[in-house]
Amino acid sequence: MTETIEAQGLTKQFGETVRAVDAVSFQVHPGEVFGFLGPNGAGKTTTVGMLTTGLRPTEGSATVDGIDVVAHPSEVRRHIGVIFQESTADDDLTGRENLKLAAALYGVPVGDTGKRVQGLLELLRLGDAAERRVKTYSGGMRRRLEIAASLVHAPPVLFLDEPTLGLDPQARAGIAEMIRSLRQQGGHTFFLTTHYLDEADSLCDRIAIIDHGKIRAIGTPSELKEKVGGDVVTIVPTRDDVDSSAVFSKVPGVLGVNRINGSYRLKALRGEEIVPGAVQAALQAGVGLATVSVKRPSLDEVFLEFTGREYREEEGPSATDWAVRVQRFRGGGR
Amino acid sequence: MTFREFVALTQRELLKWVRAPIGIVSSLMLPFFYLLLFGQSLNLGKLVPASESGAVYLGAPTYFSYFSVGMVGFIMLFTGLFAGANVIFARRFGTLKKETAAPIPREVIFTSRVSAGVVRGVLFGAVVLVIALAFARIPGLSGLRLAGHAGVVGAVEIVIAMACITALFSSIFIALGFLTEQIESYFALVNLVNLPVLFSSNALFPTTLFPAWLKTVAAWNPVSLGVDVMRENAFGSAAYYPYPPAEYLGILLLVTAVVVALMAMVTRWSLRPR
Repeated sequence: MTETIEAQGLTKQFGETVRAVDAVSFQVHPGEVFGFLGPNGAGKTTTVGMLTTGLRPTEGSATVDGIDVVAHPSEVRRHIGVIFQESTADDDLTGRENLKLAAALYGVPVGDTGKRVQGLLELLRLGDAAERRVKTYSGGMRRRLEIAASLVHAPPVLFLDEPTLGLDPQARAGIAEMIRSLRQQGGHTFFLTTHYLDEADSLCDRIAIIDHGKIRAIGTPSELKEKVGGDVVTIVPTRDDVDSSAVFSKVPGVLGVNRINGSYRLKALRGEEIVPGAVQAALQAGVGLATVSVKRPSLDEVFLEFTGREYREEEGPSATDWAVRVQRFRGGGR
Repeated sequence: MTFREFVALTQRELLKWVRAPIGIVSSLMLPFFYLLLFGQSLNLGKLVPASESGAVYLGAPTYFSYFSVGMVGFIMLFTGLFAGANVIFARRFGTLKKETAAPIPREVIFTSRVSAGVVRGVLFGAVVLVIALAFARIPGLSGLRLAGHAGVVGAVEIVIAMACITALFSSIFIALGFLTEQIESYFALVNLVNLPVLFSSNALFPTTLFPAWLKTVAAWNPVSLGVDVMRENAFGSAAYYPYPPAEYLGILLLVTAVVVALMAMVTRWSLRPR
């Protein structure tokens, strides 16, 4: 099976010291949604920049849809759709005009353009707003228009750089829904970056956790969580003045017990498998149970496990900020 | 299929222009007030004896007539300036990203902007001429009085000259727009081009009054070359010019081609992947 995206030791250095992306290697399989998860400044956008040929790698190589990004940038661009963090639609043009422009720029046959544009407007629920200028669009509509524009040439690979950044929860959910339904239609491979853990968790087939320009872990969300050490079963007893930790630690399959505010957090590889044993042990020991719940570890814990620090969605300046700072410091004009 | 992308981007630039009528009005304010106030107040006619006015204004019947044709060159220069500023705005508002990410030759991103500039410039130039001609019919105002019989060939030469000046300066300012990211640094650099070019041209004042060194500079100034084509045709003043308009136009076309090609290379360089 040929990989849709293949990166080998991809590195981007800005100036002398800032290694925004540091020798990352990964593969994206055909048809999957692959996520780059990390805080701001981790190197996500820089990686997207190199894969979409806007930035030239300092070292390493990458192919997208089998095409080398350094040797054939123009060819790569024909095979990809890119949704940038910022809006690229023209405010003074209508939604339809923006899509027609995108169609012309990506060589969509003239005869197909009208139908294709109309189809995308409907798919992304912009039909009613098609003749309105984009300056009147809401944030969510703008994002949807960006997605429509990136799909106009039916690219096999779609890059989405923080597709839900700055949107309200409802609009975020709408975009996530859109990505899911596109994925269901088939024909596209997705590379998306996000700093929202829940988004990565719910949208992606596989995730790479990136921090300080390095990939710390790659796997499916459940694989990554499993590596952290399994589920948490929370038992709330009817009385919280007696410590019954010893009762639960003897239950087969329980890896550890933590008593927090009178309730017990049991760690286990498969949470649901220890529940019967735990309940039985509690009954035998005369511990009354109020509630029992099983929780999979969230990506918060995954992040903590692999990077050694708490996940914060807002963090430091991004690599591009750094690049600008470094260039300014060095007296560069740009 | 590069042509289609070129047309689509040119069309986009022009649509944006048409849809911002405030911008059009404010762009026309400058030539309008120059014609209405500067052109009327600076009545060189009073200072130049009538017997010499033909020689000083190179065949134009009055200073205002001489000056208003120069104003066309002036507005071309300013149209180019705004074509460059649009690059900065396109970068700021993100729309440039869409173009650079597209599988199109970088030259198309450049030439479409130049061609949109040319369309704007020629239209503005025509409006300036119409205003100047209209002034001649308003009592109390000096206006443009044509004296030649240039015919269709002359009119075509005038339009080509306008297109050349705008293409030349649009391309310089567009390249500058790609090289600078801050609007402040752009305008600082623009004034380094704009003002010297304007004042060392024959647009505002007769070069016959210039000191010798400035006269030489003015003769090779592209704005002067274009304005010479327009004046010689508008005033039928072949007697005052050493060469026919077609020769000035030929030089102007050559200079324009070289500068546009050079600026296309600069733009391409500035858009290279880093």
